[in-house]
Amino acid sequence: MPYLDLHSTPLTAQTAAHLLRRTTFGPTPDDITAFTGLTASQAVTLLMGNGNYALAPVDVNDAKPTVGQPVATIPWDGDRNSELGYFVAYWWLGVMLGQNQPATLLDKLTLFWQNHFVTSRTEVDDYRFIWKYLKLLRDNALGNYRTLLIEVTKDPAMLKYLNGNENEAGSPNENYGRELQELFTVGLRDLAGTTNFTEDDVRAASRVLTGWKFTNLWQPGSTTVGMVFDAIKHDTTDKVFSAKYGTQIITGRSGPTAGDLELNDLVAMLLNRPETPLFLCRKLYRWFVNPIITPDVETNVITPLAALLASPANNWNIRPVVEKLLTSQVFFDLANRGAIVKSSAELMLGILRWFGVVPRDMVTQPAAFRKYMDFVYLRLRDLQQPILDQLTVFGYDPYYQPGLSKLWINTNTIVLRGEFIDYLVQGWYEVQPGYRLQIPLVEMVEAIQPNFADVPPLPPTTPPTGTPAVTAVQVVDMFLKNLFATDISPEQKDFLIDKILMQELPRLSWEFEWNDYRRAPTDSYRRNIIHWRLQGFMKFLLRMPEYQIM
Amino acid sequence: MNASSMALPLALNGFGMKALAGNSTLVQSLLAANVPVTDRILVIINLSGGNDGFNTVIPLDQMSAYTALRSNVAIPENKVLRLSGTLTTGFHPAMTGMRDLYNDGKLSLIHSVSYPNPDQSHFRSSDIWMTGQDATQYNESGWAGRYLNDRYPGYPANYPNAQMEDPLAIQIGYLTSTTLLGPSQSMGIAINDPNSFYSLVGATSSISPDYLPCCDAGDLIAFIRKQQALSVGYATEIKTAYDAGRTLATYPTSGQNPLADQLKIVARLIHGGLKTKIYFVSIGGFDTHSAQVDTSDNTLGVHANLLGRLSSGIKLFQDDITAQGIADKVVGMTFSEFGRRANSNNSKGTDHGIAAPMFVFGNAVKRSVIGTNPDLATLTTSSGGNKDVPMQIDFRRVYTDVLNDWFGAGVPKTNSLLYRASPSTLDFPTVSLFRNEVETVASGPWTNKAVWTVGRQPLPGEFVKVNPGHTVTVSQDVTIKNIRLEGKLQFTGNFKVKLTG
Repeated sequence: MPYLDLHSTPLTAQTAAHLLRRTTFGPTPDDITAFTGLTASQAVTLLMGNGNYALAPVDVNDAKPTVGQPVATIPWDGDRNSELGYFVAYWWLGVMLGQNQPATLLDKLTLFWQNHFVTSRTEVDDYRFIWKYLKLLRDNALGNYRTLLIEVTKDPAMLKYLNGNENEAGSPNENYGRELQELFTVGLRDLAGTTNFTEDDVRAASRVLTGWKFTNLWQPGSTTVGMVFDAIKHDTTDKVFSAKYGTQIITGRSGPTAGDLELNDLVAMLLNRPETPLFLCRKLYRWFVNPIITPDVETNVITPLAALLASPANNWNIRPVVEKLLTSQVFFDLANRGAIVKSSAELMLGILRWFGVVPRDMVTQPAAFRKYMDFVYLRLRDLQQPILDQLTVFGYDPYYQPGLSKLWINTNTIVLRGEFIDYLVQGWYEVQPGYRLQIPLVEMVEAIQPNFADVPPLPPTTPPTGTPAVTAVQVVDMFLKNLFATDISPEQKDFLIDKILMQELPRLSWEFEWNDYRRAPTDSYRRNIIHWRLQGFMKFLLRMPEYQIM
Repeated sequence: MNASSMALPLALNGFGMKALAGNSTLVQSLLAANVPVTDRILVIINLSGGNDGFNTVIPLDQMSAYTALRSNVAIPENKVLRLSGTLTTGFHPAMTGMRDLYNDGKLSLIHSVSYPNPDQSHFRSSDIWMTGQDATQYNESGWAGRYLNDRYPGYPANYPNAQMEDPLAIQIGYLTSTTLLGPSQSMGIAINDPNSFYSLVGATSSISPDYLPCCDAGDLIAFIRKQQALSVGYATEIKTAYDAGRTLATYPTSGQNPLADQLKIVARLIHGGLKTKIYFVSIGGFDTHSAQVDTSDNTLGVHANLLGRLSSGIKLFQDDITAQGIADKVVGMTFSEFGRRANSNNSKGTDHGIAAPMFVFGNAVKRSVIGTNPDLATLTTSSGGNKDVPMQIDFRRVYTDVLNDWFGAGVPKTNSLLYRASPSTLDFPTVSLFRNEVETVASGPWTNKAVWTVGRQPLPGEFVKVNPGHTVTVSQDVTIKNIRLEGKLQFTGNFKVKLTG
């Protein structure tokens, strides 16, 4: 069985596409070409190295004097909290779409952490907090988990979201103390079903964390946000943990360093539990490889991966673990291809990336960028994946509820997914006059037609002259190339050609119609004949269940 | 009486005419004769690819010219199915079911249907038929979709409601047909195929499931397919109707006749009480450029199989709804994007042509035939000496009768749905498909087929109406059932109009 041993075969188009589907928000055809032939290690090194950090979210409301200015530095204006909060999400969506950027796994991994350490724009209610939090996750996505956990615990957005701000000596708030254990480290139960911590442990952890405060929430005119440790509010007594933690005691401290010292002890204790690396590695496996963890995978993949993560030599560095998993034989195993239903973001952003329907530049064309993202953001929200705004601390349902990735699909989301596809195929969404979000179908066929202008004359000459039309088979092959994660049968392909593209006409008809268009490429009448056919075909293709999985 | 022309006013009864009151049996409309207009249903059958009309309906009066044009595919005269009431027109031997319907007065044959400036692109000509527009127009919505959009404003936002609790239209097919497209969305619910339908209603089907890849991916694809079936709009209503309906004809095993498979579903849904107004089904493969007939027998082969499926599918459907007692509220019509050349090619096939016959079936049809056999002596000659069948009947005249007479849309609405504007006169004249009377559309000689709505002289069994402002010249004895004169008859001699009813 393939486990964590290195996948040593150079990447084929299929395995390159698989890697890109799982680690980015969908490959582009050029990405697949660029990654084909690399070793898995080379490819993953590239994916981990890429990632443009330079830009931060800016105000993209061109009616405002601060347009183009980073949102974090705009003096606080509560009236614009909601709008600028959207712009943080828009920025992130823009990065996920990665216009003009090399493929990177950074944002797929950042989304993993954001869905692990959930806070939401709605609950945090200050866009600067959200941006600071998002930047923390991105900056540390491939860093060290110990560092990340410590920083997230003190992060202003998290202090707001899980009430750390209200957690004080004498009046503890247990919200974060609980989720720290249940969701961020040891998990609720082990595989045998035994709880991994007690209610007393929740209280003890909460007391460790007393005294942390965020600053400048909704503070008029403020240009920074942050956190401070208020030693006066800190519980200085000893904190005794249950037998689950070996009845460990975290010594109570006082003074300005008390918060950090006790937090370090607490994190060390949590990371010392064998359940913690297992819990994290299961989540990573579910995110990148397969939502279903078999006992075999638990033994042969999760356990050694967890051992690597927590090993003294590695000391909780994330990068080697992700690298190990993404270059492993189990990751590339045929049985794991197509084993995940695409999230709404993976489907939508994947279509936009695949067909090159990317947003305009945020800084130079803020209005066009904003209107593009209005559409994407709202459609994602309707499709149960509001970006940076999960409904609960547990994250998006399909990553933890029974059914897992299948939960992305129901009779409602199928209709909405189809609607999104129709919008892009038909070009119904107009960003600006003359600029519509539309898949360039005719152009894609033109790109595979050799010598477009050298069309065979009518009536045909003997011997034939001119460059023959691309055939219906070639057109379908072009659209299908690397589109699906799994194979389709020859019967399915014939079905796509004959029933969907040709609508039961002989395949040769395509060539007649296409050559008629080549003879009159400026005639919208001839072009539309082609375009309408391709639209119907593409609406069907992108709705296929085969396209909903990755 | 001399040979000079004489005009007879309506009051003159010298030839035994009876003036007929508007409420007599002669002018009874479908409204009175049949089910309420609001309950009526249309089934549209698309023959995709361009049906070879000349091997579908065979001109028995011109067999030598017919055979000369297409000897390598021609149907031998002795194999042509004869029809009652005509010696000049017959059906392809595979069309026994439709022959029976014709002989029972339940099938109307409409000759040489097309439109001006015909386009021989499959894609474009399909669009023209489905949108119901001029060849020079460029609109995307479908004629039936526009009708439903007008009849059910606000769909789909405010539906289902008390006025309409079921899908407006149901299509069985993989792509949403242009026919059912309204101005901004499809007015129909699409069910991919009979297999998807049976999955939706929770019944098993003998059609094997689609290919599934291995492992978890296969499980997920199967799961999503199921969810897709369930996501069909109005799934509950459709399932309820399916469960309430029955099948009372013996259809072939599923997979053998794809059209029959689809019509079987339609019949059962109608019987189950679904109030859906329009059903759209299709059968492909009619683009028979080569080997449309068997190598040794012109009555067999690809085209014969297609016509056999069409004919038996329609016959089974009509038998089914008749046995169920719901036949009065259903009519069906076939259409194909164009006909095929009169002359065959060297590959035992036929290339894209112009006009072809259309069929309308159901208890409500009043005409056995509209138009006449194409005149093989006056075919259109195109490049390379090819011969094409010119248009006799614009397809929008058939749509006009469906909209105005079958669905009761009224004259101005019927016109506007077909991109015309006249407030009081049908811009595309009726072909009297559902009317008791054959009417005049112009003045002229009785024998001129262009004078009559039906594109031919009135038959002895037909009621005739001469419309106001029209003068029909009678230059020989004619026999009809009865006549209503609102215009004039002009006799060029001592000729008689014999009335049989």
